This record gives sequence, structure tokens and C-alpha cells, in this order.
Amino acid sequence: MILSTLIWFPILGAIALALVPSRYLKWAALILSGSILLGSLWIAYQFDITQPLIQFREDLPWLATLGLNYQLGVDGLSLPLIILNTLLTWIAIYSSPEATERPRLFYGLVLLISGAVSGAFLAQNLLLFFLFYEIELVPFYLLIAIWGSEKKSYAAMKFLLYTAVSGALIFVAFVGLVWLQGADSFAYTALAGNTLPLWQQLILLAFVLIGFGIKIPLVPLHTWLPDTYVAASAPIAMLLGGVLAKLGTYGIFRFGLGLFPEAWGTLAPGLATWATVSVLYGATVAIAQKDIKRMVAYSSVGHMGYILLGGAALTELSLVGAVAQMFAHGLILAILFHLVGMVEAKVGTRELDVLNGLMNPLRGLPLVSALLVLGGMASAGIPGLVGFVSEFLVFQGSYAVFPLQTLLCVVGTGLTAVYFVILLNRTCFGKLDNAIADFPKVEWRERVPALILSLTILFLGLQPTWLVRWSEASTHAMVAVLPPVTQVTTLAQVLDRE
Amino acid sequence: MTQFLLHTVWLIPCYAFVGAIASGLWSPALIRQTGPRPAGYLNLLMTLLAFVHSLSVFVQVWQQPAEQWSVSWLQVAGLDLTLSLEISAVTVGATLLVTGLNLLAQTYAIGYLEMDWGWSRFFAMLALFEAGMCSLVLCNSLFFAYIVLEILTLGTYLIVGTWYNQSLVVTGARDAFLTKRVGDLFLLMGVLAIYPLAGTWDFDQLGQWAATAQVNPTVATLVGLALLAGPMGKCAQFPLHLWLDEAMEGPIPSTVLRNSVVVATGAWVLIKLEPVLALSPVVLTAMITIGAITAVGGTLIAIAQIDIKRALSYSVSTFMGLVFIAVGTGQTEAALLLVLSHAIAQALLVMSTGSIVLNSITQDLTQLGGLWRRRPISGISYLVGVAGLIGFPPLGGFWALLELADGLWATQPALIAVLLLVNGLTAFSMTREFGLIFAGSPSQMTERSPENFWLVTLPMMVLLGFTLHLPLILQSLGLLPHWADLNKDMALLLLWSSVTGIGIGAVVYVGHSIPKPIQLPWKRLQDLFAFDLYTPQLYRASIVGVVDKASRLTDWFDRQVVDGVVNFVGWVSLFSGQALKYSNSGQGQFYILTIAVGLTTIALSLGWSFVWPYLLTP
Repeated sequence: MILSTLIWFPILGAIALALVPSRYLKWAALILSGSILLGSLWIAYQFDITQPLIQFREDLPWLATLGLNYQLGVDGLSLPLIILNTLLTWIAIYSSPEATERPRLFYGLVLLISGAVSGAFLAQNLLLFFLFYEIELVPFYLLIAIWGSEKKSYAAMKFLLYTAVSGALIFVAFVGLVWLQGADSFAYTALAGNTLPLWQQLILLAFVLIGFGIKIPLVPLHTWLPDTYVAASAPIAMLLGGVLAKLGTYGIFRFGLGLFPEAWGTLAPGLATWATVSVLYGATVAIAQKDIKRMVAYSSVGHMGYILLGGAALTELSLVGAVAQMFAHGLILAILFHLVGMVEAKVGTRELDVLNGLMNPLRGLPLVSALLVLGGMASAGIPGLVGFVSEFLVFQGSYAVFPLQTLLCVVGTGLTAVYFVILLNRTCFGKLDNAIADFPKVEWRERVPALILSLTILFLGLQPTWLVRWSEASTHAMVAVLPPVTQVTTLAQVLDRE
Repeated sequence: MTQFLLHTVWLIPCYAFVGAIASGLWSPALIRQTGPRPAGYLNLLMTLLAFVHSLSVFVQVWQQPAEQWSVSWLQVAGLDLTLSLEISAVTVGATLLVTGLNLLAQTYAIGYLEMDWGWSRFFAMLALFEAGMCSLVLCNSLFFAYIVLEILTLGTYLIVGTWYNQSLVVTGARDAFLTKRVGDLFLLMGVLAIYPLAGTWDFDQLGQWAATAQVNPTVATLVGLALLAGPMGKCAQFPLHLWLDEAMEGPIPSTVLRNSVVVATGAWVLIKLEPVLALSPVVLTAMITIGAITAVGGTLIAIAQIDIKRALSYSVSTFMGLVFIAVGTGQTEAALLLVLSHAIAQALLVMSTGSIVLNSITQDLTQLGGLWRRRPISGISYLVGVAGLIGFPPLGGFWALLELADGLWATQPALIAVLLLVNGLTAFSMTREFGLIFAGSPSQMTERSPENFWLVTLPMMVLLGFTLHLPLILQSLGLLPHWADLNKDMALLLLWSSVTGIGIGAVVYVGHSIPKPIQLPWKRLQDLFAFDLYTPQLYRASIVGVVDKASRLTDWFDRQVVDGVVNFVGWVSLFSGQALKYSNSGQGQFYILTIAVGLTTIALSLGWSFVWPYLLTP
């Protein structure tokens, strides 16, 4: 029952917001999203971390003739993402400005997204997943098209078209799987042990990979991302980068790796290379950006590559690392977008060439600068912060299988440091121009989201057990049913080959 | 009580860490009520606690066998990340050195930065360094050593950037961070690569593994080189030495620590990793070569500098180069002794020159002069620092260099020549600075330059006394050789090279007979050393240029090609959709025309290959 609450409470709440007097709208939205956050934490409390299987199962017959049943459940792969989703929803609502236009619609759409995304993470039926996956598309389109900044309609349309294509590809893969397998239902458990020949698996997996690859996004399917993230307002960019991208990585793990393990193993070397290209490409393009929001957006492209690398290597450690990276990246991207949004709101520009000296304790934005250092360094993988733990686990887990790709991804973290140093040097360091340094005061309530996120980043960086314990049993089970990746190479073998 | 202190030895890094976090309260909240100073006092108190604690533990662990403790940090999917600590005389002695120097440097900073408002930031960073270095020496694991080194890299960025509104500081902080990060990432690659081979990251177990390991030589070399790169960055070795020079833009009290103990973190890890690095002869040769190049090159560059701080920073690279040589030839004890004597002497030198810079408002050697009568305490400190640094009996540096030379005699006698040359050149370089600062007649900048007040002078004098007493301490700890075992020839050679260097330096720079400034006869050579072998240009032409070009190119590719294709597809479908919409007027002719035009186009494009030969032939 509790899982359904996570989905339907916000969705019904979104409708109920229509009845709330406009003065109390934000409060109502905060209470709604806060209660689902507490609900997801309660699930985490009740969750048995030693149990690899689906827990809190819910199963209601719905359209049995179509094979569509209302089947929900949570395991170690989805639980961290559920918590991430509810946390970021609350933070996005909290950090949205008081003067938001049409607040009723805005908060309603955000809550709708939260419910739909939770539904997608919880669905144990492929068709049900697909429904939730598509439901979240329209609210996002509206949120970008109505509350976005410059070029918003272009960005929103681009987002819509890309994601629609992604949905179509995934739908083809799902229907194809059921059809080829001759199954009578879209239930995940019925399809997981499919016995299709390898070539059919490969074709279906290709659809899944490209479909979710658009959502993640992976290079070269990523060009909707910078436009969309930049056009979206800060709270929406948080949700886009923090949660929506995770729908892609979750999908690739659950429906790519989980349904087609054999084909996944065959493609693994290619996937690792694809991941490496994404990492290096995202980081290199980010260095050339002149707009800090765009820079952060491109950093996201690079960081998604680590997740794919962890998935491709298929070791227990790399998978744990990849799930941890999904969570860590969500937190880090959220704090970065929040701070960048704050800089834009106070200073009025996002241009690197104009910004300067925000560290100034009296006239600048000292706390924002300090937290920007923290967020940037977490993204660059400095130890003590959450980004390091997840990246390190991915690297250590992948090194034994794909040494060269892993080392190149380490180079990627170096390039990440390069653009974040550029960002920090230009925005926080330097001399503040007194002529323009007349910024509005930063209120305490504007600081709260960043403080919550930075404390979480710090806590999980120092106590990573809390980050990885959820997914260990599930990833162990995932690896146990897999054939080992055949192209196991060590550095010595790579050298011998040449 | 003593047992309690021994069992809570892990608190030593925590004191400073607590101080660092508490300093945040003054930035900028409490500063309005109390001013920035309490942050400094608080950190000083914390450092004092840490020092007293280290001292009491050191007394207990002296001549006791090393103890290993372990604390579980993270266990996941078969990976066991256990933080293991080593409590021994060496490690606790190192914390004693770190906290002691911090105590002096922080007192010095309270005096030096009297007028500054950034205290909470600055002292928090000093405390972060203290905490980091104490944890580094206590921890017995390569993985956690890497974590500490990486955090200290970030610390360097922030502490160099203390005065962030000056443009040179901003670029200096950036370069320091990125150069050290390059070394760190290679170290990370080494950390990743060694675990599948050795199955452990604990230093002592790595040593045991290395004793019997059968590793593919190429792999051993690559892993060794990656592991070597981390200390290279930290110890400012060629070609990663540039950052130390640029880091001189930071406040001098942080330089005291950086030049003495922060660079030594790299040496510490190097010494710990010696058994692993020794698996590959190539790595050892590389280590010795890098050390020798940096040692000789560093002194030559130092001689050509006109900035006091920069001249000193290159001598730091020089001595770390000697440490590289020592570790490369397997003499870890000599390396440790060298690190110790260098740390104390170098800290004294920086404090002395810092006190000159503070009152003379310039760090340009050519603008100084004639300070000996006005600044006798600083002058004596400087001289004692020089004597403690180079091979000058009976101070610390002499014994360290002697032990190193003694060991080289048996293994690689050719390196003794390098050692003597470096020692002589350093003696010359230091005497040159002494001459330019203290000898000659007063200049405009030094006319009014009295000794500083006690907060700056007292720590310097304490350190002066400590430098002088170092041989006695070493003697009482039994670290000095007996007179009978002393290699007297070597000792004489060392003394001779020091005296020659000092003598020539004194004649040229302290005496009045030779007019200044002195230039090398060949301008090109002078510039080569003065501009640091053109390393900044080298960087700009190589790695920086490549990354810059690559990022521009990829960005162009991303905008024009990847996004271009997408937009083109979108535009075409949109355009045809729009066109269709407008022509959809209900008139049948348009449909027919469209279909006719479409069919013709398709037919033409298909049949083109058949048609075009006829068109071309007349």
C-alpha cells in the first residue's frame, strides 16, 4: 500500500491544490511533498537490505487481456532513486521563488512529475512502467515552456520530440520482447528469464539502449540536454538533471541489463567505450562553455558516462558504484543548479566573462561561493564528498575488466576539475566590480536547500556505508545470474596483445 | 592518564579539524561582533592541544614496537576499505613535527596577518592542512593516503587563493590546483591498478607483497610510474614543479608550512611506497633521474631569481629532489632524516625572509640590502637556517646529507658528485640571498625596517633555537653515527663543498668589490634560469594548449555537427509539414502537382546515374 501512496498521494494532491487558497499553495505543496519524502524514508527504514528480491510487492489485476497489471515493488536498485526523487521534489518546491507565476499549475505539475517518476521506478510491469514514463513527459514540457527562460519554446519542443522518440523506441522493444517471447503478460518477472536467441536479444537491447540513451543522455543523443537544462528554471533543472536523467540510467539497468543479460555481456566492451567517449566528450565541451548553467549541464553528460561504465563492467562493485553514482550525481547536480540559479537571480548574469569576485564577504555572495566550491569539487571527485565514493567504486570495479576505458575515465575526472576551476576562478575569485555589486540580499530560506544538499553530500562522503548498503544485495543478485563478461582483460593482457 | 592519551592518539588530527570547522562561524557571521581574531586564537589553542598530546604519546611510544590499529570504514561487494593506523615512534614523531611547526606558524600568522580580515578562512585552511598531515602520517594505507593528498590539493587551491581578488593569486591558485591534481590522478590510477595485483592497500602489507611478488615487468613499471607521479606533484619535481613557485602568491605564514612539511607529504608517501617502486628498475632510475634533474635545475633557477620567496621555493624542489635520489637508491632512513632537517631549516628560512618582507614591503631582492645592522635577529635566523639546511657541521642538514652520501658511496658513487654540486650551489644561492638582503648599503625600501613585534619574532627565535639543538636531539635519540663509524672523507668533502659555495657567494655578493646586478655573460642562459627553464611556456604549448584546442574543437563539433544534424532533421520535417499545411487548400490540383513533383524528383535521383554520362558527352 505504501508504494501506491508514493505515486497517488502527490498525483491526487496535485488535483487537490486546485482547492487550496493561493496564499497557502506553497505550504500545501511542501506538506504534500514532505510527507512523501517521509514515506520514502519510512520505506528505507522498513527495507530489508539483506534481501535481494523485490519487496513491498503490490499486485492488482487491471487489463489482464493486454498483459497490463498494476504491479509495484521496490528493490536495492530503485530504493535510492525513490528517495532521491522525493527529496529533490521537496527541495525543488522549497526553492522555487515566492513570486512564481500561476503557482497552482506549477506546484501541481511538479507533484504530478514526482508521482509519475516514483511510479516508473516502482513499476514491475513493463507496460505500466511505460505509462508512467510517458506521463511525466507532458508536465515537464509545460514546466519548461511556461516557466522557462530565453528560447524556452524551442527547448521545450526539442525535449518533447526527443523524449517522444525515446518512448517510441522503448515501446517497440517492450512489445517486441513480449511478442517474440510469446508471453501473455508484460510482468517483469515473467520476462526476466527470457530464452530468446542472442540476435533477437541484441536487436531489442539496441532499441532499449538508444531509447534510454536519449533520456540519460549519452553522446551523441544529448543535444536536447544543454538547451533544455539552460532554458528550464532552476528548480525544474534540478528535477531534470537530478531525477529525470536517472530514469534513463535506471531503465538501462533494469530493462537492458536485467532483461537481456546475455546480449548485454556481448555488447559490454562497446558500452564501456561508449561510456568513455561520453565522459571525455562531455568534459571537453564543458571546458569551452561561457555560460555557467550550460557548463553544469554539460558536466551532467560526462558524469552519466561513469554510470554506463559501471554497468558495462558488470562486477558487483562496479554496479554498486553505478547505483551510488546515480544518487550522488542527483545530489550534486541539484546543488549546482540551485547555486547557479541563485547567482543568476542575484547578479543577473550567467556569463563567465562578466561574473567576478563573488567570494567578497560583504558585497558578494560568500556562502553561495563557498557552497559552489563544495559542489564543484564534489563533482570533480575530491574525496570526503559523495562524488568520490561512487566514482571510486565504479573505477575500482571496472578496472579489472576494462582497464584502458577506466583509466581514460579517470582522465575525465581531471578534465572535470579543469572546468570547475575555470568556473570557480571566474565567478568566486577575482575582484568584485563595485559598480555592479549591489546584489539583493540572500535570505536564509534561500540558503536552506543548498545547506541540506551540501550536508548530505558531506555526510555520505564521510559515511559512504549509508550510500551503498541499499543496493548491495540487489546488485549481488544481478551479477549472480549473469554470465561473466567474456572480454576480461587485465592490463598485462592488453599490453601483451599490442 | 598516559594510557588514555595513548589510546586516543587518533584525536591528534581531530583537534585541528574541529578548529577548522569552528572557524566557519566567523565567516562572516560572528565577525561582526568579535572581529576575525578569535578564529585564529581558537585554532592556535587546538594546535597546542594536539602538540601536547603528540608529545605525551611520543614519550610513551619511543623505543616501543609499532602498533597497528584498524577501523572499518566501508565494506562493500568484496572491497574492504579499512582505515588502518600505525602508531610508532616515527609516525608520532612526525605528528609532533607537524603540530610543532603549525604551532609556530600559526603564532607567526597571528602577528603577520594582523591587518587581514580573512582570518577565519585562512586559519581554517591552516588547520585543515594540519589535520590532513597528521592523518596522513598516522594512516597506514595507500588508499587513505591518496584521499588525504587529494583533499590537501583542494586545500592548496583555497589557501593560495586567500587573497582571491588579485589576479596573480587567482592564476597561481588555479595552476597549483591543476598541477597537483595531475599528479594525484596518476596516483589514483596507481591505487586502482595495484589492488588487483597486491590485494591490499596497507603499506606494510604492500611491502611484504613486494618482497615476493612476481609481476609482469611492464605492469610493474607502469604502476610504479603512476604511483611515482603523485609524490612528484606534491614534492614539486620536474616537470610538475611549477605550482610551488606560483603558490608563493599565498600569504607567507602558509608558505612556512608549505615549504617545510606540506611538500614532505609526497616524500612520506614515496618512502612508504619504496618497496613497491623497487619492483621495477626503470621506476628507480626514473626517480633518481627526476630527482637529480630537479635538484641541479632547481638550484640553478633559484640563483637566477630576484624574488625572495621564489628563490626559496626552488630550493625546496632541490631538497625534495635529493629525497627522491635517496629513496631511489633505497635509503629511506636518510630520506626521513633529510625531510626532518630540511623541514626545520626551511621553515626557519621562510620565517626569517617573511619577517623581512613584512616590514620592507617588498620581496624583490634587488630592492633590499644593508639590513644586517637593523635586523640582527632575522639575519642570524637566516644564517642558522642556511647552516641547518646545507651540509654544515654540526647542524641537522650535515648529518642527513652525510648519511645519504655514505649510502651512495656503496651503490652509486656518481650521484655523490651530484650531491656535492647541489650542496655547493645551494650554499652559494643562499649566501647570495643573504648578501642581497643583509649586506651592502641600505636602499629606499630598507631604510625604515626594524625588527617585527614579538608575535612574528618569537616563533622565529624558538625555531632558531630548535634548529641549533637538532643535533643534540638527534644524538639523544641515537640517530647520529658514532665518531668511529663516521666516514671522515665524505664529511670533509661535504664540508668542503659547503664552504666553497659559501665562500664564492660571500666574495661575490657580500663583498663590495664586484658591482651588482650580476648577469651571466650569456643573456640567453640567464633568461633560461630566470624564467624557470620556460616551463610555463612549455605547459602552455603542450598540455594546456591541447586541452584548450580540443575543447574548442569539440564544442564547435557539438554545436555545428551533432546539433546541426538534429536541427536539420527537425527543420526539414517541420518545413515539409508546414508546406503541406499551407498547400492543403482542398484543391485537388495541388495534391496532384505535389505528387507529380515528388515522383519526378525520386525518378530523377534514381535514374541520374544512367542519365549523367549522356549529359557529359557532347
